[in-house]
Amino acid sequence: MPGINAKQRRSSCRWVLILACAAMLLTGSPLASTASAANILKMGLLQEPKTLNVWRASDRWSRKVVGLMYQPLYVRDPETLKLIPWLAAEPPQFDEKTLCYTVKIRPAKWSDGAELTSEDVAFTARFINEFKVPRYRSKWNFVKKIETPDKHTVKFYLKEPKAIFVSRSLTTPIVQKKEWTKLAEEARKTKKPLKRLLNEKIKRPVSSGPFVLKEWRQGTFLYLEKNKYFFGTGKKVQGRLLGPYIDGVIFKIFGTSDASILSLKKGSIDMFWWGIQPGYIEDLRANPDIELFQNEKSAIYYMGFNVRKAPFNDVNLRRAIATLVDEDFIIKRILQGYGIRMYSIVPPGNAFWYCPDVPRYGEGLDREARIKKAFGILRDAGYTWEVPPVDGSGKVVNGEGIILPDGKPMEKFTILTPPADYDPHRAMCGMMMQEWLRMLGIPAFSKPMAFGALLQQVKVRHDFDSFILGYGSLSLDPDYLRNFFISTNDKKRGWNMSGYNNPHFDKIANESASAMNRDKRRSLIWEMQKIIIGDVPYIPLYDPKLIEAVRKGRFTGWVQMLGGVGNIWSFCQLKPM
Amino acid sequence: MELRRYIVRRMIQVIIIFFVILTVLFLLFRWAPGDPVSMMVDPDMTQEDAEILIVQLGLDQPIGVQYFIYLKNFFTGHFGFSFHYGEPVVDIIWNRLPNTILLFTTSIILSAFVGVFLGKIASWHKGKKTDSLMTIGALVTHTLFLPWLALILIWVFGYKFGWFPINGMISEEVWLDPEAGFIAKAIDVMYHMVLPLFTLFLIHFGAYLLIMRSSMLETLKEDYILTARAKGLEEKMIRDHHAAPNAALPVVTSVGLSLAFSINGGALTETVFTWPGIGRELVSSVSQNDYPLALACFLMIAGVVLVSNLVVDVLYAYLDPRIRY
Repeated sequence: MPGINAKQRRSSCRWVLILACAAMLLTGSPLASTASAANILKMGLLQEPKTLNVWRASDRWSRKVVGLMYQPLYVRDPETLKLIPWLAAEPPQFDEKTLCYTVKIRPAKWSDGAELTSEDVAFTARFINEFKVPRYRSKWNFVKKIETPDKHTVKFYLKEPKAIFVSRSLTTPIVQKKEWTKLAEEARKTKKPLKRLLNEKIKRPVSSGPFVLKEWRQGTFLYLEKNKYFFGTGKKVQGRLLGPYIDGVIFKIFGTSDASILSLKKGSIDMFWWGIQPGYIEDLRANPDIELFQNEKSAIYYMGFNVRKAPFNDVNLRRAIATLVDEDFIIKRILQGYGIRMYSIVPPGNAFWYCPDVPRYGEGLDREARIKKAFGILRDAGYTWEVPPVDGSGKVVNGEGIILPDGKPMEKFTILTPPADYDPHRAMCGMMMQEWLRMLGIPAFSKPMAFGALLQQVKVRHDFDSFILGYGSLSLDPDYLRNFFISTNDKKRGWNMSGYNNPHFDKIANESASAMNRDKRRSLIWEMQKIIIGDVPYIPLYDPKLIEAVRKGRFTGWVQMLGGVGNIWSFCQLKPM
Repeated sequence: MELRRYIVRRMIQVIIIFFVILTVLFLLFRWAPGDPVSMMVDPDMTQEDAEILIVQLGLDQPIGVQYFIYLKNFFTGHFGFSFHYGEPVVDIIWNRLPNTILLFTTSIILSAFVGVFLGKIASWHKGKKTDSLMTIGALVTHTLFLPWLALILIWVFGYKFGWFPINGMISEEVWLDPEAGFIAKAIDVMYHMVLPLFTLFLIHFGAYLLIMRSSMLETLKEDYILTARAKGLEEKMIRDHHAAPNAALPVVTSVGLSLAFSINGGALTETVFTWPGIGRELVSSVSQNDYPLALACFLMIAGVVLVSNLVVDVLYAYLDPRIRY
């Protein structure tokens, strides 16, 4: 520039830089306070939702968001956990003779203002069956016929009695016929219609829930705003007056728990929608701006055996191992007290289906007593040792060289666990199991391995001895009990990973699947739990408690229920303070 | 003529190497334990569902057919659909790539400028306190564990002082504000860039400083520096106008290559700061066995690295006629 020397130029550059920095600093804080004034709830997610296509949403992050948009006919009451009408107007009526369920739909609208009718419900079910939509297909493929006598009534005719119809089928999210008909027509013209539908990017989902998509900036945030057509607004459902009373929800993505918890403490988010690890709890508890909620989860973490092969096909060995497992130690030391002892495969929080009357191996025993009891079980079953774990005087020593009843020494066996960076609790449980089993002379080795490889080995190739896995979000319907242990599911990619095969169990399991009387079904489910815990293909280890953290002072009305405060009831009842 | 033959030969080599990488990557992913479907630990997903998904994803085809489809997708520039997003891989990459380039290119340029400047000063004060301080400082910051440094910076500047955002690339407050214009949005991105940029700068500037320092020390021994001193030029003039431009050549080469590598981002930086770039996507796609997306990311990195090496080789050959490999 003419007239400006080098010194002056440097000086002005310096000033420009200083001003730019100041502008950056100033733009941050005031904006943050502007946003906090708005009635928008900010939720932290650990990962970004992959999709808003309800049929593709299989990852938990997508499901959290999609669950606020697409709604089912029935949902769980937060207190009783019973199914209550949501999009439906009343409980379903079942006609035993015709195997027909009649469902009345309440007056409701889609987010585009169109009326939600029985045609939408029927379309959803037909769509799932026609395109064999994974995760939903098995809940609808026993429906023979669907009728819609009027726009508020749907009749579902079943091929055979199915106990899961109300709890699993009628809790399927309903989609709009108008939106999906065109997509379905296009898909039918392709070679792989399902692929075409699953790959459909739904940019503006038409939904019926309390919130609808406003904007999604991929990789950064997702904004749902209040659905002005939500059927529940101003209505009482189960005695709860529904909103939403907030203007919207913003989901912010965080790469790590550390960053999300710092953001929560800083006030950048109102809730971190993920369980808080025990290591963070004391710090958060001491923070006056943070409120912690503790709820039970419908989850189970367990040790499974490959009962297809020796020596794990011997129930005595499995019972002896179950006796050695100190669940109280796991909960107290590994989970730092944030866990619930599991006696059965059904979590105790699922009170109606949980059977408390199952064998309790090693309960109340100290380490020595456990070893002695396990030793007794194995000795009576014909096992011998080079050095028995209990010597002639009854003193517990380190056992060595266990020999199977057929005279062969027990070979080294592995306990597969996910790696510590994936789940430190399960990895640590594997290490403890290894130590406890070695005290009895059982040559166990804990082997952490990549999660994908572990599943491949256990679920696909069936090439393993034992494993520690878990389900973080089990359905409240206990049909999974049948899925996990029925012999017909002992196949590649089947859910009977242990290879458990008990014709008596299979018979009861099949009966439970078609038992339409709830009490009768409960007695069958209890019987199934007794058989499984008696035969121990799985040793239940723990059900972690769910600790969630929210900011105080911005919103009130969080609804606690099994599975935490991040539920549809909270979103419909939260009020700005 | 000889140079042209050399370039053609190098290009053929690059094409062959790329083809080998293309094939090896495909096989590595297919042979690695686990598949995208078995990763879905959802009791609602029955064995039949899993089989249906396998067919939809094309994983039921013989490996030769899968390879053929993969090649076809590659040569048509399609790369297929991400198993997890269900979107075309190309769209995902185009969405994430600018973010990565913005952060990493800026960090490399900034680190290089500061590194060169400080390296110049350090060499000029060789053996003195300034030199020791700078050299030790460079070594310390260069060897710091990046996630640790990033978390410390987040804690201090993002949480304790609250000066900068803890994560992300943009503020929803700004981007949802209909009145916010381009400048407000650009400033918002710059504001979010401060901490990740500072982290990357701290990690990288030391390397440039050390390269520059050693290069300067060599240059200062040259006769033309002695001549400049003999002519009675100012020390600052000798340092900045005679020594530094010549000593900066190795740094320029290093920066050139680093710029090319910046395309692959940094998985750790992007994860800790939730920067929506290629590095984060790469980690996520590999851990979830999202073959099409992971393969496309790797191929893109491989392609850029091969091409930049080719460019450097050709430039060297052009600049120095003695180079003919």
